[in-house]
Amino acid sequence: MKKSILFIALLALCAGVRAQQNDNKKSSTDSLMNSLSADDSKNEKVTAAFKATRLILSPTTENVKKNNLNFLVIHRFGDIGTSNGGFKTFFGLDAINDVYIGFEYGFTDNFQVMVGRSTIGQIGETQFKWAIVHQASSGSPVAISLLGGEGIRPYGNFASFSDRMSYIGEAIISRKFSPSFSLEVMPIYVQDNQPMPNIAGNEQGFFSVAGAARLKVTKHMSLIVDYEHPFSNFRNGTNGFEDPLGFGAEFETGGHVFTLNITNAAGISQINSLSNTEQSYGRGQFRLGFTISRMFDFSPKKNKDKNW
Amino acid sequence: MKYLSVLILALLSFTRAGQDVYTCKNAKINIYSSAPIEDIEANSSEGVSVYNAATGELAFSVPIRSLHFQKAMMEEHFNENYMESDKFPKATFKGKIQEHPDLTKDGTYPVTVTGDFQVHGVSQSRTIKGEIKVNGGVLSMSSEFMVKCADHHIEIPKIVFHNIAESIRVRVSATYGALNSSK
Repeated sequence: MKKSILFIALLALCAGVRAQQNDNKKSSTDSLMNSLSADDSKNEKVTAAFKATRLILSPTTENVKKNNLNFLVIHRFGDIGTSNGGFKTFFGLDAINDVYIGFEYGFTDNFQVMVGRSTIGQIGETQFKWAIVHQASSGSPVAISLLGGEGIRPYGNFASFSDRMSYIGEAIISRKFSPSFSLEVMPIYVQDNQPMPNIAGNEQGFFSVAGAARLKVTKHMSLIVDYEHPFSNFRNGTNGFEDPLGFGAEFETGGHVFTLNITNAAGISQINSLSNTEQSYGRGQFRLGFTISRMFDFSPKKNKDKNW
Repeated sequence: MKYLSVLILALLSFTRAGQDVYTCKNAKINIYSSAPIEDIEANSSEGVSVYNAATGELAFSVPIRSLHFQKAMMEEHFNENYMESDKFPKATFKGKIQEHPDLTKDGTYPVTVTGDFQVHGVSQSRTIKGEIKVNGGVLSMSSEFMVKCADHHIEIPKIVFHNIAESIRVRVSATYGALNSSK
């Protein structure tokens, strides 16, 4: 009798231990899952601060990804509100100010080359953009890209070949504050070997600062604003210069990004818009513009996973 | 003598309990959408899973950002526009396997698992068929099932260039290791 009681007691104990273990495990499935997936809350890169590689006037910190080619067509039409505007020219649509056609190609995810040509000054440009810092969830609060480029004007009267050259260098610093709001600031230096416009007293080289922001309204539509200010002794209000300012809406349709905008600046190239913007909103010198971009992906086809 | 056999029995049940939990840290996930313009496919091998053989509990979780596409644009759109992975970083499954296959014997066991499948922050109660394989004492599971985008409030706008199928095929495969409970 004693023995059998002991036997039952021992068995009950074992069962108890086992049941307890199972209980522990039952509640521990969650904690096990948590501990297993703990490291995927790791330092995540913040992506897509902007939808496109450029906004209205300014480039963004976004790059064309490796083996991708972006084809761009950018237009600026004529004045909407001056005597050249109005219904006669259908609010400037008949009077095209500037057209830019260009390509951007990503050699790596962080390095891209841009080539393009503008109507104003018939300027042909080559630019490089290098993403050096990425914004991360528990890393850098900002993304930084460096951009450098040159522009050449092959036509027109210039004293020497080197006078045909302009250069631009800038640092683009952006932050995606929330999934819908991103902001960027750019210190810029522009060097025109022959001052633009070529007026006595104008400088060849000058600093500027630009700022731009994006507000995502829907998953596929954002509002953007873009502003530039040259710090120049000559390019100021007294000499008839204006700060370029643009407002726009950006539509993304998967592979295409379409931007519709209004700016006072006629020049699409930043070298042109920073060096020589004399159009004023107050005088009705603002215009419609648009950017169409189409992305082509030339990534080699990856081998399908054999395990499937 | 009797005490000894009881002790052995107790020990046996004790150690057996320790081998009931299996984990996997590199579960493979494949999603595939067949559409007229192009087939879209993404892979991840960062899924995690816990299987408690004693209770039949099965849990899966995969970080959405770990799914990689062939085209960079697709990956960005997937994260930004469809899955909103900054708001809903994971897809998870928590359920119970109905059957209790004998995991000590090698073999392939068809199983049915019922539970909550959460994608894009929306939970759906699902019953999914799969397979448990035991090969040389190594436990693995695989399953293939369809997920309707609409079931998880994933909107596909009409204007989108890449056509995307309304149902996405998901394939999961995980090889488990026993959780070391010897302490």
